[in-house]
Amino acid sequence: MPSNIDGLSRRDFLRASAGFTGLAFLAACAPAAAPASTGDAAAPSVEAATITFMGWGAIEEDEGVKAAIKQFESEQNAVKVTWLHTPENYLEKLLTDIAAGTPPDTAFIGGDYYREFIQDGLFLDITDKLKTDALVGAPDYFIQPQEEQRCTSEGKWYGIGSCWVAPHLYYNADLFAEMGIEPPSNDPEKAWTWAQFLEVAQAMTVDVNGKHPNEDGFDVDNVERYAVSWPTWWIPLHSAILANGGDWTDAETGLFVLDKPEATEALQNIADLFNKYHVAPSGTALQALGMSDVQMLDTGKLAMAVDGSWALSWLYKIKPKLGTGVLPGMALKTATNMQAHLHSAFASTKHPEEAWQWVRFLSTPFYQSQFCKSGLWLPSQTGLMTEEGLSTWITPGVHPEGYKDIPTKFLPNYGHIVYQPPSFIEGNVFIMSAIEAVMNGDATAEAALPQAVIDGNKILAEAQA
Amino acid sequence: MTTMTTTRWYHRFTPRTLAGRRNLVGYVFISPFILGFLLWFLIPALVAMWLTVHEWNLISPPEYVGFKNFERMWNDQLFWKSLQVTTTYTLIAVPAGLVLGFVLALMLNAKTRGITVFRTVYYLPSVVPAVANAVLWAWIFNTEYGLANAFLRAIGLPKIKWLQDPEWALPALIIMSLWAFGSGMVIYLAGLQGIPTVFYEAADIDGAGRWHKLRHITIPLVSPVIFFNLIIGIIASFQVFVSARLVTNGGPQNATLAYVLYMYQSAFANLKMGYAAALAWVLFAIVVVLTLFVFRFVGSRVHYEDAS
Repeated sequence: MPSNIDGLSRRDFLRASAGFTGLAFLAACAPAAAPASTGDAAAPSVEAATITFMGWGAIEEDEGVKAAIKQFESEQNAVKVTWLHTPENYLEKLLTDIAAGTPPDTAFIGGDYYREFIQDGLFLDITDKLKTDALVGAPDYFIQPQEEQRCTSEGKWYGIGSCWVAPHLYYNADLFAEMGIEPPSNDPEKAWTWAQFLEVAQAMTVDVNGKHPNEDGFDVDNVERYAVSWPTWWIPLHSAILANGGDWTDAETGLFVLDKPEATEALQNIADLFNKYHVAPSGTALQALGMSDVQMLDTGKLAMAVDGSWALSWLYKIKPKLGTGVLPGMALKTATNMQAHLHSAFASTKHPEEAWQWVRFLSTPFYQSQFCKSGLWLPSQTGLMTEEGLSTWITPGVHPEGYKDIPTKFLPNYGHIVYQPPSFIEGNVFIMSAIEAVMNGDATAEAALPQAVIDGNKILAEAQA
Repeated sequence: MTTMTTTRWYHRFTPRTLAGRRNLVGYVFISPFILGFLLWFLIPALVAMWLTVHEWNLISPPEYVGFKNFERMWNDQLFWKSLQVTTTYTLIAVPAGLVLGFVLALMLNAKTRGITVFRTVYYLPSVVPAVANAVLWAWIFNTEYGLANAFLRAIGLPKIKWLQDPEWALPALIIMSLWAFGSGMVIYLAGLQGIPTVFYEAADIDGAGRWHKLRHITIPLVSPVIFFNLIIGIIASFQVFVSARLVTNGGPQNATLAYVLYMYQSAFANLKMGYAAALAWVLFAIVVVLTLFVFRFVGSRVHYEDAS
């Protein structure tokens, strides 16, 4: 033992022990520093109840939620809301809070695990509160039947959708004008057929020598401009499958139905855009990290992009004039996937009534329209779709001319939700792996999907049991 | 206040013998580590071991299921796939990284003017945060606009769909991992500088050429360092996660489904915490067996100067 320790004075020893005790105290405290969320049940009733609200989002959503809390607290003084902003690794953090026995009172809930949480009895049943509410309980308050389809399980409501978002077309309008080609329409009745879409796509794709893909000597490896990007993650693909009369899952059986001919044919159509017609850059989903459709549309490297309606909140900034349109049809006229996260209250909350009041407030025009204004969201409330309602959020300079047909005609009439049963995320891994092979041109959809559906359904069936 | 409590505590628990008192002082000084080790390592590891025989979705209480998680693993094609991906990754990335780091360290050991600048430059990639590194390489490997394909085009080769082609995605991640050779290189450099120059002088007198000096002096004398880098490299590459998660997220077609990524997905996407815990313990077992194997078959070839 070194001599300086031998000579440790009592004072030094005490100092060291005190330091250690302090450290131990700190360490013991750290995990207990969970948010003092649910307030004290025994508190006097005059005091406002404080509930927590957990959610993700970038700066814009963070500010929007803060504005909503301010508005909510100014309208009444019985409920205060603490915002737990969690921009990264949201599901992990939410799950850890649940596992620790300290879930928030209310939260953003992704559609992909909403039903899993219902099955585990995590949510407050808000059916009665909703049905008896004069405003949000009105039968035509939300776009129906989609709202009921996404929120209810066996007729019970466990959350309310935040808004709707849906893939549609974006295009560089200057390029279409320059080439004298009629751009896609926002009116679903004037949607392109798949053949028309392919024709335009071939006309708009050129290689470095100015040749089109349907001409001899087209240089596949040196394409100057692609006609379209069609992201290959599941939501834009679901839109294509819907347009051909297929679906991702069946709401009745709760199983994948991507082996049906309507689905495989639609998937093959998308894969052909990359590998057969060469009108789309491959693997767009993965390339999003490198160069996104924003820069490509901006620089004229891309004429059209399929992207979520949310992308309008940044795509409107491109230098060329931006246009929008409905997706092309296949067997059906047109279709799109519509979804968004939900707002739910947890069954464990000590303030169910207050939590409901907050979830309800989030479903009123104040909260929803501020995100609609910026192009991030589309409304789920019919009140925001009337001429008067539209005027409260359609923003010139953000929403291109004619855009209102997207929320009023395309979305309610041609939008479909996907039923996401428990273990959807896990089962979908098998599906996406097969789809990647199809999109890469390694297999046909008809050959690859059946086995993936068997593997994926094994997981879903296990979760049902 | 704290001092008063500690004083009382001190009188009550102070060992009576001098040796006991000395030991207590030692324990107090290492206690921050012990405490951290218990709280953040040993206790979680034991809980994870307990979880291996339970089913737990983080929401409902854990349920005892016996060896079901291990049975599931045996029949789980994604488990085997992830094991295969990680093994391939390790078999290529570790030796390639060892050689690259060693060769560069040899070059950077030269006594040239401005050598510290080169050392800094070659070490820089190891300082780049893993996430920034991943985003950067995702761009480099972009099929249409990436630097890698621009280079291939310049020398007249066809473009490669690096991150979309299941054949190329794992090699892409391996190339990416080699970029961070700097940490191994610095250890080699330290090892090389620890070789006494008298050996080389003696060899010069004996008329040994460059190759002979490398073969008979340098390599044997840095072999403990090579061995250290080998063990650390194997352990680290079995735990590869950041690049697989951020650049490819396991795709395409699970071609880069690294073991730890699958473990993470099992826990936080598939909500199978017990299964993930079982995967973690199996990984631990694999790494232990491999390390023992390497010690047994490679360790005996390592030359330790002190021992002789």
